Amino acid sequence: MRNKSLAIGLAIASAFSFGTASAQQSHPLAPLAPLPDKVAPPVNGIYSSIVRIEAATQVPNYREPWKAGNFSGGIGTGFLIGPNKFLTNAHVVSNARRLLITVHGSPQKHPARIVHIAHDCDLALLEVEDFTPFKGMEFLEIGLVPKLESQVRVIGYPVGGNRISVTRGVVSRIDFSSYSHTRSDQHLIVQIDAAINPGNSGGPVLQNGRVVGVAFQGLRSADNTGYMIPTPVVKRFLTDIKDGQYDHYVDLGISEFALFNPAMRKKFGLGPNSPGVLVAAVTPDGPCDGVLEDNDILTAINGNAVDAAGNILIDGEKVNLNEIVERKFAGDQIKLQIIRNGETMEKVATLKPFPPARMYAVQYGVNPRFTTFAGMVFQPLDRNLYAAHNFKNTRVRRLFAHYIDEEIFKERKDIVILTRMLSDPVTTHVSNHAGRAIESINGEKVTSLEQAHQLLHPTTTPEFFVIKCEGVERPIIVPGNKAKEASERTMRNYGISQAYRLEE
Amino acid sequence: MKFFSLLSLTSAAMLCLAHAAADVKNSLVRVNSTLQTWSASQPWDKSAPSSRGALGVLLQGKQVLTTAEMAANSTYIELENADSTRTLPAKVVAIDYESNLALLAPDNGDTEGFFKDLSPIALGEATHIGDKVDIWQLEDNGMPLITQATVQSVDIVSSFVRGHYFLTYEAKASMQSASSSFSLPAVKDGKLLGLLSSYDSKDQIIDIIAPEIIAAFIADAADGEYLGFPSLGIGINSTVDPSFRLWLKLPEDVGGLYVTRVRKGSAADQAGILKGDVLLSIGGKTIGRRGYYDDDNYGRLFWSHLIRGQHKVGDSVKVTVLREGEKKEFTAVLSRPGKNLIPSHTLDQSPNYLVKGGFIFQELSVSYLSAFGKDWQSTAPLNLLDAMASPEDYEKGRNKLVFLSATIPTPATTGYESLRNFIIAKINGQEIADIPSLIKAFETPGSDRLHTIEFADGQPKTIYLDARISDAIDAELLKRGIPALSRG
Repeated sequence: MRNKSLAIGLAIASAFSFGTASAQQSHPLAPLAPLPDKVAPPVNGIYSSIVRIEAATQVPNYREPWKAGNFSGGIGTGFLIGPNKFLTNAHVVSNARRLLITVHGSPQKHPARIVHIAHDCDLALLEVEDFTPFKGMEFLEIGLVPKLESQVRVIGYPVGGNRISVTRGVVSRIDFSSYSHTRSDQHLIVQIDAAINPGNSGGPVLQNGRVVGVAFQGLRSADNTGYMIPTPVVKRFLTDIKDGQYDHYVDLGISEFALFNPAMRKKFGLGPNSPGVLVAAVTPDGPCDGVLEDNDILTAINGNAVDAAGNILIDGEKVNLNEIVERKFAGDQIKLQIIRNGETMEKVATLKPFPPARMYAVQYGVNPRFTTFAGMVFQPLDRNLYAAHNFKNTRVRRLFAHYIDEEIFKERKDIVILTRMLSDPVTTHVSNHAGRAIESINGEKVTSLEQAHQLLHPTTTPEFFVIKCEGVERPIIVPGNKAKEASERTMRNYGISQAYRLEE
Repeated sequence: MKFFSLLSLTSAAMLCLAHAAADVKNSLVRVNSTLQTWSASQPWDKSAPSSRGALGVLLQGKQVLTTAEMAANSTYIELENADSTRTLPAKVVAIDYESNLALLAPDNGDTEGFFKDLSPIALGEATHIGDKVDIWQLEDNGMPLITQATVQSVDIVSSFVRGHYFLTYEAKASMQSASSSFSLPAVKDGKLLGLLSSYDSKDQIIDIIAPEIIAAFIADAADGEYLGFPSLGIGINSTVDPSFRLWLKLPEDVGGLYVTRVRKGSAADQAGILKGDVLLSIGGKTIGRRGYYDDDNYGRLFWSHLIRGQHKVGDSVKVTVLREGEKKEFTAVLSRPGKNLIPSHTLDQSPNYLVKGGFIFQELSVSYLSAFGKDWQSTAPLNLLDAMASPEDYEKGRNKLVFLSATIPTPATTGYESLRNFIIAKINGQEIADIPSLIKAFETPGSDRLHTIEFADGQPKTIYLDARISDAIDAELLKRGIPALSRG
């Protein structure tokens, strides 16, 4: 399962090191190769294909979801990869209400719009309304994954000035790691020792005149550490959108446990050098549900031998086995060789999107869903809500953390949270309930926001509305004949402009 | 003339004060204690000791009263007289962590010599709001330092162990710091009114443990077998909310508390009180919507004082509840709260543990969780916090919650280094109720000489440990200075 929290992702990432791999490839003391891109194409040609993107954004308010949100903005970089095709980061243009593109050395601003946006891999494709001024400009070509220790150039419009900026760095790590934009996705990542600053985002990282990555994030706790999205991820995005729409990444839906322990290896009858990683858990309803089982040993994926740590060898680099799935699309089949109860067998899993995993991904460009009732605000739990409210209640934290592995999603499309109690004569003495999950309304288990809304607004008004929160014995009571009046009063008094929004 | 009369009055008052000072000073001793807790992460180790100085008061029978805070986790307690001419080792006779009281007695020393010039103080009666009391301190040189305080309110307060509330006087006075400034006696008319449990220097408010609570503690300890304060065993919620009252069908003329929880096996449970009942009165005292009743002596007091402050274990109490609109009367025989799956404290207890091949297993307690720091309620592991919040989900088949607290990297635990904070379900096929049952289960590995460890909530769910290698590791760990591989 890769759709866990950022902290877990980072911990996993730090466990995989390519230090030994790099030592084998080139001796650490060997002199650095001369700069490969010294004889690059004319700089002006490339510079004018690297554009400045100005975004005016409107960020939804998950604390007071009826509000319009905060108007704000930011700067990023993009580059031309084809006729009216500008590539940039999704986070540069997320929640944008207006986009303007500026060419290096030109004062003119060109209105642009998003054609495709992929939050899970932090990439977006833009187009300008009028491409005429860009005619004749060079299209940057997408290259391969750069080698460790090789030099690259980062070009963009980072903070500290308005003009284009160029920095150089060395590829210092190639790893499977977290993409911070959604806080829940992990893909291949290339680390370079050039600083990537706000504004650099979406800019090209070049080697030999070709794009080897898209600069996208830095590390606050370390100096001179930048990260770029490598070309396999970029190419996958460009392939995915060929049919006119972007589909989400697909996951294998298993979590692996490294088989280093001798007792563990003995129990499963594995020799000291035999391949295979333990399947520690299979995501319910995921692509491997019914295909793999807990305690299977995964020995090969699409013919690539899986080692005890769950790594495979691709292009001479050891990478996590999920890298195979990374380059696949929904509907693709994956061949899995396993050992189950000492018996070797072949299994086939068909990859598919897994909507419940949305719980853990930050959502952009959507309006928060909510409903209100007698001064109470109800919202569905997801990463955005979690980040906005910082829930302390252990039940809520547990429902969030185990939404998938404990199969809560099968019963509950939404975990509905009572996020706020606005004081009103009808509910003023209810305390200790805000920040908790709703268990039932009028005796019916709550399974989605929409259903909760229906239960709170039935055709025939009950004598009492009885709302029960998880972990609180004392229910919230609203007399039926006072509910409508209390709803109207709280909306008026607290400036709630909209009573509910059930669709994003 | 007027001037003179005023002068003489003042000197008379001073004389009187000096006389009282001599009396009470003879009942004061310093209590010097060395306290030491067990390490949460390495349960075979004790953490660095700390010293505290406090005051105690001498009662009848050569016993000294102080707060539990001064005696809990103590490794050595010493009594010292006011002018520091004599000391005497002491031991704890009775300790009540909930009410924060401890009774000390001499332990192998010159008892006769120490008590020769001392005289016990008598326990005073309850006082009233507005009364003046004297707070006693001792300076380094042995001189008494007396501060007059005014009792401003009476409340029930939790002073040491979280969640246990007892009758407490709140008095106002500006106090100075002096040596041994903990557990100071509050004295009225030459008698002990109470013990100071805390002082807020900003608001200048003193919390004094009330004489009724001290009297009950001393009476309980008198037979040598200390039981502790009784409990009813319910959780409650106020009934102020008019909508809630309407739903409960509560008439306007009654107060009442909504019963949210009845602890299994508790006095309330045995009496027949149910979750959802509305508690109307205890022992004939009507309970209001916020849980207060009219106390004959103190005015409005929280209902729990009717149980904990006025009764002892074994007493019968009449409880009236409203159930589905009907009044019902029950008789509850008060008892001590039952054992918790996850104890709220482990004071004076050495934590049970087992080291196996590098795995450290422990029994979960709130003390363990609170070792995660100031924000432990959000930073401690979520699964362990959940067990604390909802122990009823974990109680089946368990006396205590056994979990893997840490993994020492050893040849036996290769590849398991990152495993920690997993709750244990079974070892070698046997269900684990506590550390003793864990130790027993590890005695019988499988025929392949492998131990099977099943987690209740881990990924992976099952791991294996080589019995032969882990036994060798255990012997090695002993050589490296772990004093014992298990306790419990």
